[in-house]
Amino acid sequence: MSDKNNKIPFNEDNYTHNIERNNERKLDRRGFMKTLVGAAGVFAVSSLPWGAVAAKELMGLGEKEYPHKKITDVSKLPIGDAVEFKFPGDHDDAILIRLSDNKYVAYQNACTHLRCPVFWVKEQGEMICPCHHGKFDVKTGAPTAGPPRRPLPEIQVKVEKDAIYAVRVKRYEA
Amino acid sequence: MKRRYLGVIILAGILLMNIIFTQYMVHQYYYENYENVLIFGGLNIVLFPLAVFAYKKTINMRA
Ligand code: FES
Repeated sequence: MSDKNNKIPFNEDNYTHNIERNNERKLDRRGFMKTLVGAAGVFAVSSLPWGAVAAKELMGLGEKEYPHKKITDVSKLPIGDAVEFKFPGDHDDAILIRLSDNKYVAYQNACTHLRCPVFWVKEQGEMICPCHHGKFDVKTGAPTAGPPRRPLPEIQVKVEKDAIYAVRVKRYEA
Repeated sequence: MKRRYLGVIILAGILLMNIIFTQYMVHQYYYENYENVLIFGGLNIVLFPLAVFAYKKTINMRA
């Protein structure tokens, strides 16, 4: 038995320092600093999944080809109208807009601010996010007003036998 | 007297950097700059041992 606990002042730098029945609501400087260190640990741990996914993308595993997906028939989409669809996954909202006879644009329409669904306003010729009035340029997907800073990811489409297909999601140019 | 708070100040600074790096990391992820995600994620991880070190160094500082 050592008598280190009998010393005065008592050396109380241990990992259960905050757990003390009499003063459990009291947070002293030492306890506060431990909380800060713990918070730094939480940040470190929560960085790991992002790093993992990024590493996976860097190694090219994320470059999957998705099966081409039929969006709609050309005859069902008048010029200036838009239709919503899902691509590439079942939960990835996207929008296809017919700008002219054979010019189509498609974007993943989760707003790049806080992921509200962006919709097409024909009269104004703009894509608008209802949540904080973000606006996007319909030709490029670039943000033109409001909080969003990142362009909407564009989806490549192709027309084949009077139907419109989603081919793949374009990458941002580096 | 003032020096007793040095540790708190350093740790608060570390936490501030944590927040900045995390914000950067998430944004770079959505911009598809995956190298930058790794850099900032790595910085975030390095900050933790640094925080432990700063704690140990300053905890017994007196006056
Ligand atoms: S979510 Fe679209 S502007 Fe905020």
